[in-house]
Amino acid sequence: MFGLGRPQPTSAEKIAAVENELKVVAEMHSRMVKICTLKCIDKTYREGDLSKGESVCLDRCAAKFFETHQKISDQLQKETQARGGGGFGM
Amino acid sequence: MDGLTAAESRELDQRLQKRQVKEFMSVFGNLVDNCFTACVDDFTSKALSGRESGCISRCVLKSMSTQTRLGERFGELNAAMTAEMQRR
Repeated sequence: MFGLGRPQPTSAEKIAAVENELKVVAEMHSRMVKICTLKCIDKTYREGDLSKGESVCLDRCAAKFFETHQKISDQLQKETQARGGGGFGM
Repeated sequence: MDGLTAAESRELDQRLQKRQVKEFMSVFGNLVDNCFTACVDDFTSKALSGRESGCISRCVLKSMSTQTRLGERFGELNAAMTAEMQRR
């Protein structure tokens, strides 16, 4: 990539790009924690430690969350292309 | 993307620090909301009962353990996903 005729990203743009990527990742993390807590953790809080069942549930929840993310990403891309790339304007 | 200069790196670090503080406040807020909702339901008194107090303590401990565990899983899964995307 020689960037011929294409302006280099400014300082602000480069910094914003990194920060934005981290923001996206952090948001995904936060959503995952919220949802998996809801799905796996016993709300009566009778114990302060994670039970074995809860721990295993959390691991599986995280894995399925990521798989769901990927699956939807792939399907959305496919559907958007099939519908003439209009749709979400992506 | 080219690497960042020292000045740009510093600026980024500053932004990330600010973001981390905001993130912590958010986690803290969620913790309060979550544990309050789960544990506090007795409004015959202004003060937390012993039961409610104990519940809140356990809720905090469990929530922190959950954050830790999910943080580890997230890191692993995110790295795997990134690697997979680059492979495609």
